[in-house]
Amino acid sequence: MDLAPVLDGFGVVLQPTNLLYCLIGVVVGMLVGVLPGLGPAATIAILLPITIGIEPVTAVIMLAGIFYGAQYGGTITSVLLRLPGEASSVVTVFDGFALARQGRAGTALGIAAVGSFLGGTVSIVALSFVAPLVAGFALDFGPPEYTALALLGILLVATVSSGDRLKAVIAACLGLLLATVGRDGFTGAERFTFDNLSLADGLDFVPIAMGLFGLGEILYNLEERHRAVHAPATVANVWPSRADLRQSSGAIGRGSVLGFFLGILPGGGATLASLAAYAMEKRRSKTPERFGRGAVEGVAAPESANNAAATSSFIPLLTLGIPANATMAVIYGALLIQGVSPGPQLVDQEPELFWGVVNSMYIGNILLLIMSIPLVGLFVKILRVRATILAPITVLITLIGVYTVNYDVFDIGLVVVFGALGYLMKKLGFDPGPLVLAFVLGSLLEDSLRRSLLLFDGDPTGFLTRPISGTLLVLFLVVVLLPVIRAALARRRSTDRRNTKELV
Amino acid sequence: MTTDNRARRWATAGTGLALALSLAACGGNVGGGTAAEGEEFPGDDPITVLVGQDPGGSTDLIARALADEVSDDLGVPVTVENRPGANGALAAQELAGAEPDGHTLMVYNGSLAYITPLAVAEGEAPDIADYEIVTGISQDDYVLVTAPSSGFTTVEDLANAGRPITFGTTGVGTGSQLSQELLFNQAGIEATAVPFDGGSPTLTAVLGGQVDVGSIQLGEAIEQIEAGELTPIVTFAEERVSYLPDTPTAIEAGYDVPVQQSRAVFAPKGTPEDVIETLQASFQTAFGSEAYQQFNQDNQLTPNEIDGEEVRQAWTSNLDRYRSVVEQYSIDLGGDS
Repeated sequence: MDLAPVLDGFGVVLQPTNLLYCLIGVVVGMLVGVLPGLGPAATIAILLPITIGIEPVTAVIMLAGIFYGAQYGGTITSVLLRLPGEASSVVTVFDGFALARQGRAGTALGIAAVGSFLGGTVSIVALSFVAPLVAGFALDFGPPEYTALALLGILLVATVSSGDRLKAVIAACLGLLLATVGRDGFTGAERFTFDNLSLADGLDFVPIAMGLFGLGEILYNLEERHRAVHAPATVANVWPSRADLRQSSGAIGRGSVLGFFLGILPGGGATLASLAAYAMEKRRSKTPERFGRGAVEGVAAPESANNAAATSSFIPLLTLGIPANATMAVIYGALLIQGVSPGPQLVDQEPELFWGVVNSMYIGNILLLIMSIPLVGLFVKILRVRATILAPITVLITLIGVYTVNYDVFDIGLVVVFGALGYLMKKLGFDPGPLVLAFVLGSLLEDSLRRSLLLFDGDPTGFLTRPISGTLLVLFLVVVLLPVIRAALARRRSTDRRNTKELV
Repeated sequence: MTTDNRARRWATAGTGLALALSLAACGGNVGGGTAAEGEEFPGDDPITVLVGQDPGGSTDLIARALADEVSDDLGVPVTVENRPGANGALAAQELAGAEPDGHTLMVYNGSLAYITPLAVAEGEAPDIADYEIVTGISQDDYVLVTAPSSGFTTVEDLANAGRPITFGTTGVGTGSQLSQELLFNQAGIEATAVPFDGGSPTLTAVLGGQVDVGSIQLGEAIEQIEAGELTPIVTFAEERVSYLPDTPTAIEAGYDVPVQQSRAVFAPKGTPEDVIETLQASFQTAFGSEAYQQFNQDNQLTPNEIDGEEVRQAWTSNLDRYRSVVEQYSIDLGGDS
């Protein structure tokens, strides 16, 4: 591996501006992590317009900081208030809050911070080695491979994501439909544009993300957060004891590795990783009854995993140009605004951007470790800011922000429409994530499919004869059929049992 | 962004003030029209240059390089505003509706004038007759490239491949598509167009051997050509491109397919003659500056600093010529043109 670009990357990070934006990013990330409801995807979407005026690498350093910073912040309220700041910190509530009730809130936060730091760092190191490898054979990724990958991605998003599977599929289909708006890139025909030039190039990703994630979340939270937040328990002694560290070291290691791999998967990401890591620790433990009653491993494993996953989900984005989850989709949007199209060429053509962003994560994680241990109390105070003050300001920033991207009033209308849609979706239990991701992957899927068929001269078996696309399609089938087969097996087993009973 | 907003507010205030003054001076003669009357253009008001492409693309870079120089020359701020969409038609539409006082201009792409109309339905592409043209800027050449592993080095190689060729284009209704369609039709090569989304994805597809060849703007491919990762087959320029002295033009190879991307500065219809002249002089000064000439060098752009009428003639004749050859070979660039 050529080390020079990696070292240059550190040079990029250590420029004062970039350090400053990294700091801003992780502080904002911590803050939104602490605030329940407002997630990193929403925050990044709202802040997208700000990134236009700054250098691409600086912008992405900041946005990435928000993403992994939120993983740290989300823990704090999970532990202290039993109120997960982020979806990825939901499982931390079980043992984190139990520990807090035993007066060991400090231990839980300390272990979570150390675990997050180690998980994040392990993942960055792995990212540094894996990403250039992936990028190395990325040129073999042609339209057929992208077709298969996009299909797999949309399917995984719909089936793997937490929540109702059917609703996720419906949301994803809506996203796919929205992706068809605009002038058809192959024939020049207008689709659903209603003779409006603003729609000729399709719906813009930024207003959709800002509406669904930003405005939608704010509206929904206004309804949710009327009850007052009770004063959190005081936190004493955040430094984890040596015994605690020894007890959780295994959990941190396993959580980091698991998180790294789950983060790479399309549809995976921090939430899935934290759930899986918690389940794994509980199953491995000799004393599973301790889980839920204040097991340190129950905090360490999911926190390491969610940070590792947050970091590794940059791999498919930066090497293949495929966002693995909703937050990555928004960062993808940010790169496009900057005129950088993430793809196989990125590592080679923009080494400064790639390594600058990757290496900034070391710095960001160190900053977060520093902030989360001694400054916990400060961040908890943010919960006292009333929603009635916060919400109108955020709405205003969102609307002004989206206008400044294209100076187009049409975009403001879009944000309002999608904000209302996002609110209704949340209210009816639909996650807007699959919609946004399917929207992004939808045009990729359609374009790649049509390109592939042009290349194959209309013969769809071409997908199966190429090694990479063939493998991906087999994987696709496995994911589709697995639940069906499992259900069938379970039914057969139960009938078998009944049969044996009858025989006896 | 804040500066943009402020600039615009000042622009409005300035126009209002100037209008009020001219009204007072003319004793209510509203027919007087533009704000610049009675004072020398550009006065103290800033100039906005619209760009119909995303920030960071070649059109945007050209607009920004020129804006700096023109701003120095005229002594007023010149800001570039991007209105990407519909190949630039969105920006053109906005320009058509702007006040014809020389304070709103646009860097207009030739492809929008002479290729897009062939690809989209009637009336969807703007007509250059609806604008004033200040000056030509520069030309960007297309080059037909292939991956070295394909073994192709000449158009004959492609003809003798013994199988249909696939070619990547940077999109429907682009010079990249037109140039290759014309070449393969004239050479009698059976070929399938695979449209990609802009230069960079097309480049990637050619590098990875996903398509056999692709036609890409020189500035976007030069790095890979110099590194030996891409083999140039022909350029679609009228004459040999100074940046690729060893690559023949398609004309030299025996095919009549000159296709170039050309750019010019447009103003709204009805912009006063003297304002156009002032602008033209200022752009000429900009073209002469060392920094701008270096910029052209760095981006493999060939200066084409002709005056507005020449641009109009050249682009109109391009449109006519392309329309007739497209009909002659019954090439289908888009769907329903």
